[in-house]
Amino acid sequence: MRLLAPIAFLIAAILIALSADHPRAPADFVVVQRADATTLDPQRMSWQQDFRAARALYEGLVTLDAQGARPQAGVAERWEVSDDRLTYVFHLRANARWSNGEPVTADDFVYAFRRAILPETAADYSGFLFDIVGAEELFTWRGKRLEEYAALPATERTSERCAALWTETVERFTTTVGIRANDPRTLTIRLKHPVAYFLDLVAFPALAPVHRATVEADVSFDPLSGRLIQRHTWTKAGHLISNGPYRLADWRYKRSMLFEQNEHYWKAAKVRSKTVEVRIIEDANTTVLSAEAGSGDWVTDILAEYRPEMLAERRRYDERHATAIAAALARGLRIDEALATLPAPEAGERRNLFGLRSFGTDFYSFNCRPALTNGKPNPFNDARVRRAFALSVDRQLLIDRVTRLGEPPSSVLVPRDAVPGYTSPTGLGLDPERARKELTDAGWSDRDGDGLVENESGERFPTVDLVYSLGSPRYRDVSFALREMWRGTLGVEVQARGKDVRDFRDDLKNGNFMIARGGWYGDYGDPTTFLNLSRSNDGNNDRKYASPRFDGLLDNAAKELDPAKRLAILTEAERLLVEEDLPILPLCGYVTLYMYDPTVVRGLTHHPRLEQHLSRLWRAETQTAAAGAPR
Amino acid sequence: MIAFILRRLAITPAIVLVVYTITFALAWLVPGDPLQQPEGRRPPDEIVEAMRKQYHLDNPVTFYVEYLGKATGVSWMLGRSDRPFDLGPSLRHRDWSVNEILATGLPVSMSLGLSAMLIALVIGVTAGIIGGLRPNGPFDLVAQLVSLLGISVPSFVVGAGILMLFAAKLQWFPIGGWGGLRYVVLPAFALSLPYAAYIARLIRYGMIEQMNSDYARTARAKGLSRTGVALKHVLKNAFLPVLSYLGPATATAMTGSFVVEKIFAVPGIGQHFVDGVTGKDITLVMGVVLVYATMLVLFNLAVDVLYRFVDPRIEVA
Repeated sequence: MRLLAPIAFLIAAILIALSADHPRAPADFVVVQRADATTLDPQRMSWQQDFRAARALYEGLVTLDAQGARPQAGVAERWEVSDDRLTYVFHLRANARWSNGEPVTADDFVYAFRRAILPETAADYSGFLFDIVGAEELFTWRGKRLEEYAALPATERTSERCAALWTETVERFTTTVGIRANDPRTLTIRLKHPVAYFLDLVAFPALAPVHRATVEADVSFDPLSGRLIQRHTWTKAGHLISNGPYRLADWRYKRSMLFEQNEHYWKAAKVRSKTVEVRIIEDANTTVLSAEAGSGDWVTDILAEYRPEMLAERRRYDERHATAIAAALARGLRIDEALATLPAPEAGERRNLFGLRSFGTDFYSFNCRPALTNGKPNPFNDARVRRAFALSVDRQLLIDRVTRLGEPPSSVLVPRDAVPGYTSPTGLGLDPERARKELTDAGWSDRDGDGLVENESGERFPTVDLVYSLGSPRYRDVSFALREMWRGTLGVEVQARGKDVRDFRDDLKNGNFMIARGGWYGDYGDPTTFLNLSRSNDGNNDRKYASPRFDGLLDNAAKELDPAKRLAILTEAERLLVEEDLPILPLCGYVTLYMYDPTVVRGLTHHPRLEQHLSRLWRAETQTAAAGAPR
Repeated sequence: MIAFILRRLAITPAIVLVVYTITFALAWLVPGDPLQQPEGRRPPDEIVEAMRKQYHLDNPVTFYVEYLGKATGVSWMLGRSDRPFDLGPSLRHRDWSVNEILATGLPVSMSLGLSAMLIALVIGVTAGIIGGLRPNGPFDLVAQLVSLLGISVPSFVVGAGILMLFAAKLQWFPIGGWGGLRYVVLPAFALSLPYAAYIARLIRYGMIEQMNSDYARTARAKGLSRTGVALKHVLKNAFLPVLSYLGPATATAMTGSFVVEKIFAVPGIGQHFVDGVTGKDITLVMGVVLVYATMLVLFNLAVDVLYRFVDPRIEVA
């Protein structure tokens, strides 16, 4: 009998714990994603899932339209650009409201932009504002003053001194930085030099406004360092004030987020789903199982190892209905709309999987430094060697046999046809003949007939140190395949070295590699979001490629006011990158696998930027019954 | 009894301090940098440096002392911190403090762990009794085989298997998530199996041994049935080893199983902890370890008290 006491206690404890945790009523639209937003503070955001939440909660001066990703009116109902493209005047709409009913003012934007610039915010995207007059200078100045402050003896680091430094900073911001609220509904921004894609930057979630009063309530001074300390109570449900289509009704970390319609939103009538739930399922297999069982409307990224097989099921369905699909596409329907008109899939087929081109490129980096970390000369300092390696890569084979996601092969860095008006260069394709010639020209050829190349003094080509990050089998498999291609075509020994992601990043930064796995997603709709990576002074230029000619072209493009001429200069810059200098070896465009039932889900854009606004998604409930099975 | 409890409580801080120190040394030595992202854009160097200073990541001694002071509430008592038991901000989860992460994850992990222990007790004790009553009989062999499987088959296999069968195929339970009894059953069952198996073996051996003892023979000689002796007298003594196992086992189960939580998408503390270790989120790791160590010590204490309660022969002094 005594034994039953602890058991009864156990049962009671479980029931109490569970009863405190009620399931919620289902939302109008359910998104399933792998990772939770890291922050809902727009200025500190950095990840795709953060931005998706930001687009639900906040609205910037302008927003991007779903199809062409072109800027359209947001909080600003109209704007004027001066003839020299240096001054932007934004006119805010009178009916823009925060979720508590207060009007959104120009001052809210000034405050948000100031936050993004200040070093203590640690905004990954502060650089987006550095084209504004005085912004970068303020960032550097404040950083320096904080350093001086921190070096003071402890007794002199008082709250008063800290507050004085802050007052001075605000003063300096107001007088030197080109961001000004002329009145509550007019915002003027002055740029240092013309930025052709400035409106695209303004639409970026990191430049969304924040509700000043709630954010400031969480700010305090740290007299020890002189910095502002930001608490994040304000980003939690019940505190967060938003100005976008939704307000945050609930956020349980790494579990789910619930958005409910913001009735004060000026375009509230256009919001498709009144409530949206974002559910977090980390395990790739569980994600697929749960989607197959019909819980969740849109899975943002299918990562299960068997996804090539899932794509094959989709291909089988497409093949069986090839003529009908072709006819529907000819009528102007999109692929998902076309699939929705067809009969349900049979066993071994599916139509709920969509491999979509995204705004990113998978590439490998060549170390361009003259010497390696061990002090030895780096053979990849020679552009001919880099071209030889690039010309030996069979991209189609990689995609068909290794990555198997139907990626578009790419010999260029900026995804083709993703930026309106931009013509991509050709790049270097597979050409083993020319590859061997380039290597010979660089002084490496097989002189003793052993199948491996040597230089004039008979030394073998050093074993290529090919570094990839562990964690995803994709990188390992691609690296191994590349190793075989280079060994076979060029006669060089390659050693593939897998490193934990964090050590990998250190190796990249320190130049401890000859060739390394890379990749990049663009942030805004302009080629420079990819090309800036190769600027000699860029913080993400792991290759340490430094070409005055390339930098010069980018500088010229920045000065060019005629959009077409500017893009032509950028084409020339990219051509230099992918046809002559090859610091980067592009392999293919990235593909994102969406899973959703095309007969039910509406509103997802397939444009490579993949800028999904949750407020534009909805379930076409009526068609569910007609379509039958959930796949 | 009271003196015993007080004495044990008094040495608790010392034990927790030792655990804290060892974990801190290990966590500090883990390679990597919590302020660098594994992918994508790099924050500027001066920002990373400033954050390193802010979080005392540039000096292990300062970090060790500051963190301990804030976590234990000493800094608060000295007026140097505005909250007691402040486990710090998570270094990787920018909007969340370790306290908030624990507050959302721990109740989930605890109810999952308790449910698992409940299932483990029911299955384990039943299987143990069946086995112990007729050692080497057909039931016993089946029970032993099952418990061998329960210990040796890893939970990601069992978990994925029952998820496929009961949730995906039969659709008796939801796939993944949390919020109500229906969500608990599968993950709790998957988590319970190794514990159930171990309990079954403990009970079986205990029963076999006790059935041959003098008091059991006496009871049999007085005419009690074998089953009667087993359930009335023997089980109580056979249960004692289980009781001492339950303390640490419950604490382990309650602080979350990474694998089970991941497979069943249970938003518990286990995932956060593993993310914390791999991401070198040192504040999160230290916070979870402090809470876990404290719980472990307290559970062991509770078991020792229960021991006395169940078996008055034992002197707790």
